[in-house]
Amino acid sequence: MKKTKAVTKRLKPYVQRKEGNDSMQDHRLISMSNIDKSYQMGKNELKVLKEVSLEITAGEFVAVLGPSGSGKSTLMNIIGCIDVADCGEYVLAGENIEAKTEDGLAHIRNKEIGFVFQKFNLISKYTAVQNVELPLLFRGIGRKKACEKAKKYLELVGLGDRIHHKPTELSGGQQQRVSIARALVGEPKILLADEPTGNLDSQSGREIMDLFMKLHAEGNTIVLITHDSDVGKQAERIIHVRDGKIYEE
Amino acid sequence: MSLVEIFRAVFINIWASKFKVFLTTLGIIVGSVTIILVIGIGKGGQEDVAEQFRNLNATSIFVMPALGKTTQATLGLSDVEAIKEGAPSLSDVTIMVSGKADASYRNTSYSAGVTGATEEFCNIQNLTVKYGAFISHYDNERRKKVAVIGDEIAELFYGDEKSEAVGTDLVIKGRRYEVIGVLERVGDSMQGFSPDEGVIVPYEAAEKYILGRTRPRIMALAKDVDHVASAIEEITEVLNKTYQGKSDAFMIRDAGSRVTAAQDSARTMSVLLIAVATIVLIVGGIGIMNVLFVSVKERTKEIGILKAIGARRKDILLQFLIEAIVISTSGGLIGILLSIFVMPLMQYFDLRVIPSLYGYVMALAFSIATGTFFGYYPASKAATLRPIEALNYE
Repeated sequence: MKKTKAVTKRLKPYVQRKEGNDSMQDHRLISMSNIDKSYQMGKNELKVLKEVSLEITAGEFVAVLGPSGSGKSTLMNIIGCIDVADCGEYVLAGENIEAKTEDGLAHIRNKEIGFVFQKFNLISKYTAVQNVELPLLFRGIGRKKACEKAKKYLELVGLGDRIHHKPTELSGGQQQRVSIARALVGEPKILLADEPTGNLDSQSGREIMDLFMKLHAEGNTIVLITHDSDVGKQAERIIHVRDGKIYEE
Repeated sequence: MSLVEIFRAVFINIWASKFKVFLTTLGIIVGSVTIILVIGIGKGGQEDVAEQFRNLNATSIFVMPALGKTTQATLGLSDVEAIKEGAPSLSDVTIMVSGKADASYRNTSYSAGVTGATEEFCNIQNLTVKYGAFISHYDNERRKKVAVIGDEIAELFYGDEKSEAVGTDLVIKGRRYEVIGVLERVGDSMQGFSPDEGVIVPYEAAEKYILGRTRPRIMALAKDVDHVASAIEEITEVLNKTYQGKSDAFMIRDAGSRVTAAQDSARTMSVLLIAVATIVLIVGGIGIMNVLFVSVKERTKEIGILKAIGARRKDILLQFLIEAIVISTSGGLIGILLSIFVMPLMQYFDLRVIPSLYGYVMALAFSIATGTFFGYYPASKAATLRPIEALNYE
């Protein structure tokens, strides 16, 4: 893990150099201000996020750290546009999210966001390559082109020889790689990972983290949600979530 | 997502749960077969009616003993004479008795339908004599023992040489009858009388030697269709005069109303069967809806994943709706195939079924409509699932 840390440090100048070419304003990928979110739990209203404000710049590798129930998953869901805030403003890649319809949100999820889930969330009856193709197919890209691109990304995550395997025929680490390939294939602006190593043994977990480091080094913006501070430490910026509020380190 | 891809996804899904899908399809298959049979039986019934009455003159009028009446009265030749006198709207009147009797020629014996009638019968029943002649007024008056035989009887007794029949003798109930004529083949039988397998003898001979006075009927032809109503009135008047107080022992029917009654009963049958088909299809449709609801529930997580990676409502809606339509369409097609094998079997139940393109088209159309109608609700439920809730569903 020390080794990966070293890599991060080494690559930082690269990211900064990339940012240095433009003004900060253009690279502000995520801009949240005063986001509130609460859930109805029976008769009680549970406030999960309280006036959360957050900015994430293109090329950053951010870890959102917090214990379970802190609201970090809700924060991720709102960032990923699979849930919407009760109030507050959220601008993602220059687009105001509150104004979007459900299909508009679907379009943003498809184009701007790549999800990596703790439980992989692959579709079990599809092969690896069919899973990876999906985001492109939803975008209206033809199957042939989608297949080519999906293969390319499966090779990138080191699964070039497993493309026709179904998820059940793959190990946990391999499944997570497929899901990363699926997240990357649409070339999104943000890679959003929710406990990506949570269901993996430590060896596979390390490999997945190495993959994230590599992707970050290539210029991808990564937001990683985790309760594991060892995992979180590998990011270049750490945000703590506690009781619905965020604290920057 | 392009339609081709949606179809692909649908087929992967159907393949993944093929047994369940097959069970769902059964409802639609049965519904589709039912529709085809219903339409086939309906057409068969109509055709039956049409054939039964093909040889029946639209101007025919029948006077027969009423059923279930206690007043007893029997028609006779005198009534024929009276009606001839008193009913100027008629062109022809005859009286007939019919029953079964053994007829034999040489060593061959056959239980034939024997009809006793007067010379007018030939015209009233639209019969054509192929060889020889029909019974004449003279034959009747003299109670001559002569017979005119149908095509099938002639074939049975004389084989291919039907013309040889004329001049030979048949034995009916122990008495010899000379064959004077062979009838042209009629084909399907008419109500209560099938000329092809029948023997026609002079009325009085039949009454006296063969059948006795068993419920004779009077048959008459009105001059034309417009005279049918007035002819019935005139006949009623004559009978009232003859059988004072007993005229309700007879009923008078005209061919038109008999055809209408038969068509009505055929139609009633069709309506009944259509009702059955509708119920079967609704049940089948509810089956589809049920399976789709279960499928939506089972695949909630999958729907959540698809939505998270960018599926729009339309993508999800179409996937489920097309699944329903594919299931119901294939059900309809299988039903059509099945009905092709089932229809010939219906003949064992003495049901005439006429297959028709119309039946196939209706079956397929109703199957697809059922799938679309009952598939839409579960599909729209799936499409409107909130991504976050669907994704967290376990």
